[in-house]
Amino acid sequence: MNSRKLTALAGVTALALAAAACGGGDEGGEGGDGKTLNVLIAANTQYPDEFAAWQKDISTKFRTATGAEVKFETFASANDELTKIQTSVVSGSGPDVYAVGTTFTPTAYSTGAFVKLGDAEWNKIGGKDKFNPATLGISGPDEQNQVGIPWVSRPFVMAYNTDMLKAAGIDKPATTWDELGQQAKQMTKGDEYGLAIAYKDNFDPWKFVWGMSVQAGNPLVDGKTAKLQDPTVQKAYDTYFGWLTRDKVVDPAAVGWTNPQAVAAFAKGKTGYFMLTTPTAINSLEQGAVKGKWKFALLPTVPPGATSRPANGVEAASILSGDNLLVADYSKNKDLAFEYVKLVTDQETQLDYYKKFGNLPANAAALQTLASDEQLAPVTEAAKKSVATPFTGAWGDIQLALTNVAVQSLPDLGKGSISTQQIDSRIADAQKSAQTALDRAK
Amino acid sequence: MTTLVRPPEKAASKKEQRRRGVTERQRPLWLLTPGGVLMILVVLIPLAVALWISLIDLDQYSLRRWVEAPFIGLDNFVESFSSGLLNSIWISVSFAVLSTIATIPIGIAAALVTQNKYKGRALVRAVFLIPYVLPSFVVATVWRTMLQPDGVVNAWLSKVGIEGGLWLTGPRSYWALILVEIWAAWPFIYLMALAALQSVDNEVHEASAVDGAPWWPKLRRVILPYLRGPVLLACLLATLNHINNFTLPFVLFGAPAPEDVNVMPMLVYVTSFQSLRFGLSAAMAVLSLVLIAIPLFVYLRAVRLDVHDEGGRR
Repeated sequence: MNSRKLTALAGVTALALAAAACGGGDEGGEGGDGKTLNVLIAANTQYPDEFAAWQKDISTKFRTATGAEVKFETFASANDELTKIQTSVVSGSGPDVYAVGTTFTPTAYSTGAFVKLGDAEWNKIGGKDKFNPATLGISGPDEQNQVGIPWVSRPFVMAYNTDMLKAAGIDKPATTWDELGQQAKQMTKGDEYGLAIAYKDNFDPWKFVWGMSVQAGNPLVDGKTAKLQDPTVQKAYDTYFGWLTRDKVVDPAAVGWTNPQAVAAFAKGKTGYFMLTTPTAINSLEQGAVKGKWKFALLPTVPPGATSRPANGVEAASILSGDNLLVADYSKNKDLAFEYVKLVTDQETQLDYYKKFGNLPANAAALQTLASDEQLAPVTEAAKKSVATPFTGAWGDIQLALTNVAVQSLPDLGKGSISTQQIDSRIADAQKSAQTALDRAK
Repeated sequence: MTTLVRPPEKAASKKEQRRRGVTERQRPLWLLTPGGVLMILVVLIPLAVALWISLIDLDQYSLRRWVEAPFIGLDNFVESFSSGLLNSIWISVSFAVLSTIATIPIGIAAALVTQNKYKGRALVRAVFLIPYVLPSFVVATVWRTMLQPDGVVNAWLSKVGIEGGLWLTGPRSYWALILVEIWAAWPFIYLMALAALQSVDNEVHEASAVDGAPWWPKLRRVILPYLRGPVLLACLLATLNHINNFTLPFVLFGAPAPEDVNVMPMLVYVTSFQSLRFGLSAAMAVLSLVLIAIPLFVYLRAVRLDVHDEGGRR
């Protein structure tokens, strides 16, 4: 080998070593008291300053309690989070604690990269009993295989315009979907509409369909079988689309609305009900014309076409929505991780978090203290009556398939009518992709 | 005499050739190593990994031990075809080609009107660049707001007696996507055309003036031929940019996208990040790479975007 070749080889080796050095490095693996715990958490774009202050506050408390540092890493979207989980799972290094959305928990569980919680783990964080029982519904496929520790709840409720209901002679908000449709008709006149619905939203539509179906006794997934091609689902879509096409109780422009646009429409004070919202919308509503003239109410829990829930129907007021905390299996700081989880799920911290960001506590005692707040009472009740979506790794695909039925129906809604055949054929497509996803589920 | 003189000349030229050959052989090619290594790291290895992933059944269940994910050969490729890949490729390619075709006349016309000096030309040139410098995300957000059923576009249309309807869903979403893409992308053609115009020698203008050529024949027979090379290159780059544009359809329509605008990047995105079928989406990406590379190769051969050809022609 001549000298040039040797030099070249040395160059290549140096580059390769440099590249390897860049890729390596396990954070948080230091020994002794100077340990660092890495926490991956969603960025808060609504209250960025308060969020930074909260992180600082938690860091101080954590240092006082354990002597270790906590380092927060934020992600902007579900994709960022997924990418982070992917790379961490593949490389076996990364954040020690993840905060993930409830509906994403089954997907995270299916990667098998998170600590399964036994009695010892639950005890470390203060016991299972400290949580609102409903929030544990999406921690794992069964009691023995839980990975998610409830952190915050964001149950869905509806908001109604007290003045408009009163003017229409309605004394209390609807408790069945049929009653809701009826009341909406009473309130629709001129430029006033009964309902504000975000038909173009990519996250809202499936929640209606799931809720109505579960109330009618169909949980959409039965073991390894998708049950989307079912009269309950058909009825749910028919009702949901019918508000716009048949009953005409929704502003036709709602075909193009996402959730924030529906909030804005309701905030103008010319809509009776705003169908799917959480306490995070309070600020927007209080800044609009509807200020002081609105209240939260539970979403109807009696399926469409019925006056009472069938025997196998479930009183699902909302999907179980919020965030869970997951401890990574590869973490070298598991004890510290559980210390952190304990800290942020304690009553005091949970109430502080609620006051700053409007996310409801998963801590039962903290939630109870809010029940006396008249404005929030329906929301705390919804938190208790939340029902978990099916715990399967295929849920992401099923949710997508349900949303897709609504997305592909929008042109028909825009034209003002949609036939049963059209709905059925789209549900058939959704059933096919849901079943394919379930067949792959392990 | 001459015959006696020639042989040494021949010998000399042969020797020279040999010397040149030797020099070529001794070029310090190893200096290319850093670039080569970078190319291997940044392009070839990821491409090889993508190829490998396209052959295994990688999803959320096998992600953790992805090296052990089952090898399923071409199954992902077969499934790609039944998952609407061909339709998405067709949408992507037609959208890209139409957008490119529409932007050429706009870009060239804009370049021509800013070629000669006049008062305020600098301002016009700056204004022309606005769509190009705006981030795709901003462009898409603004247009999404304007194209709402009760947005300004429909309000304007109704003033002239046209009923707007839905732009962000259904068959019209395809045309909305093209419209917004044209709005955002024409300055690229404009820039390339302007650069080419600037390189036209003054003598050419003078010569056509001396010959008394009217403006249209001058434009068509003298100036436009100069633009051919750069504009054809711009067409190629613009089409590839259109095909790869993910931000615009994603922000305009969201995921899942309406069927009419389910372009390739959206399909791959949904397959990867919502269905978590990494193997399948890698197969889709590889297939689209191949399917687009073939016409691309033909185009490159046909238009001969070769610097030496252009230089020779001038």
